[in-house]
Order: sequence, then structure tokens, then C-alpha cells
Amino acid sequence: MESTSPTALADLVRGAQQGDEVALREIIVNYQHRVAGFVYAMTTRSHYVEDLTQQVFIKMVRAIDRLQEPAQFESWLFRLARNTCIDQLRRQKLRRIFLPFGAEHENIPEPAGAVDAEELDALRHALAQLRPQDRALLALAEEGRSQVEMAEITGTSVAVIKARLHRARERLREFYQPPHS
Amino acid sequence: MKPESHAWQQLQKQAAAQLRTGFATQVLRTAKGPEPTAWRRLRERGAAQLRAGFADRVLRAVRIELPSFSSQVAFSAATTAICLFAVLYLHERSTRLENERNLADWQQVEDEAQALGLNL
Repeated sequence: MESTSPTALADLVRGAQQGDEVALREIIVNYQHRVAGFVYAMTTRSHYVEDLTQQVFIKMVRAIDRLQEPAQFESWLFRLARNTCIDQLRRQKLRRIFLPFGAEHENIPEPAGAVDAEELDALRHALAQLRPQDRALLALAEEGRSQVEMAEITGTSVAVIKARLHRARERLREFYQPPHS
Repeated sequence: MKPESHAWQQLQKQAAAQLRTGFATQVLRTAKGPEPTAWRRLRERGAAQLRAGFADRVLRAVRIELPSFSSQVAFSAATTAICLFAVLYLHERSTRLENERNLADWQQVEDEAQALGLNL
């Protein structure tokens, strides 16, 4: 949420927990772009983004009453997003075993974007070479999550997160081929 | 100058000619990894995939109630009970019919034996 204070967010979450649809709608509107950006970094394919983002928010609406600490909402939401994306990538991997030609359809080039699309493609390509867990860490870090939050989201310790994040960054640099200027 | 020095120079020149212009910049960019702008563009591209009215679509999808776990269990239990009852009923019915048919056959044998004056 770019502009909402923690207190206002906690109020919104409490409202949503009591079934206030206006509060739910406001939460979705405030977070949809950030979650979509995270989903895109995780999947690196634009055609999954809307569907997966929708799944994340449906899970959020159905489970928000079980969230104990409204202050933990962001970490909780990104945990939902991470797990949803990892599940999707696992299903995709399984599908590839049974539908070998599916991979050809998945490798359709992304539609051309802005002038600087090459830089974006280089990043997408590098991310696609990483394990989904590493992509999640990098995307969470870029999202502004602290290492403590990342540890909560992934269910590990801060020390482990530090090591994994460092390794993930190194791997990303290894695969990153910036466009020739 | 050693005779091979010239050859070395030629080799170095040829190798250097293989490098594109801006080689140093390219190396530095690769070593540094993606710029924050690339990440920003990635997030923006992701966000741009959502069509207008996204929040309303999510809320509509949530309203389509999914059957609860307990109702699914109850439905499975009812289906199992109906199937079990049907199997038991058909088994009992076919056994009864078979017995009746056998008894009728025996009755017929007995009647025929009596008619012939035999005592079974």
C-alpha cells in the first residue's frame, strides 16, 4: 500500500475481517499492482499474471478472518502470493511431463513492450533461470520486504535468508546479460 | 625485438578487435546485475496485465460459494451409504430369488417323485 499508514491499514484489515466489502475492495485496489508485479517476477510470463493475482486475492478474502495480527498483513499477503506462484510453477512442471508440447506454447515470446524492453527481457530471462524459491527472495527484496519479514514469509531464519539472498543475487548476475548499448 | 614479439602483438590486436565497442561498460553492467530500473519496469509490466475492474472481479469470484469441506464429506458419506444399501439390497434380492427358484425346483422333483411312487 503506497500511501496508507499502518494504522489505517490495520483498520482496513479489521474491517475486512468483519466482512466489510468496501474495506476488502480497498485492500485489493491498494495491493493489486504490487502483487501483480511480484507474480510477474515469479512466473516471468505475462499471461499468468491476472489469473494468479486473482487467485491470491481470492485466497486472501477467504482467509483474512484467520489473520491474527493485522499489522502482519503485508507479510501474510506476500506469503500467499509466493505460495500460490510456487504451486503454479510446480503444476506447470508436472504438466510438462505429461504434455511435452506444452513447453512450446509456454516459450512464445512476450509481446514487445516499451522502448527499454530489452533490459526487461534480460532480467526476465535471468530470473527464469533461477529456482522459484530464489526468484521469490529477490522479488520480495525488490518489494521492500525486510530480511526478518522474508524469514517469516518463507518460514526460515534470518541467517538462512541472508545466505540464500546473497546466493540468489550472485546467480542472477551470472545469468543477467544486459542489452548491448 | 624478439622475432615472436611481432606475432604476439598481432595476436593481441586480433583478440582486441573481437571486442565490441563499449566492452568495459558492458562488463561493468553485467557484473553489477540488473539496474533498479529493470526491476521497476518488471513490476510495472506485471501491474499492467490487470484489466480494469480487477477488484470487482475478485469479489464476484469470491461470492460464488464453494461447497465447504464438511458438506463435501457429508455428500461423500451419503453417496457411499446409498451405494452400500443398493449393493446389499440387490445381493439379498438375488439370493432370495435364487433360493425360491431352487426350492421350486426341489418341490417339482419331489412332486414328480411322488407321482412315480418313489419315496425320497
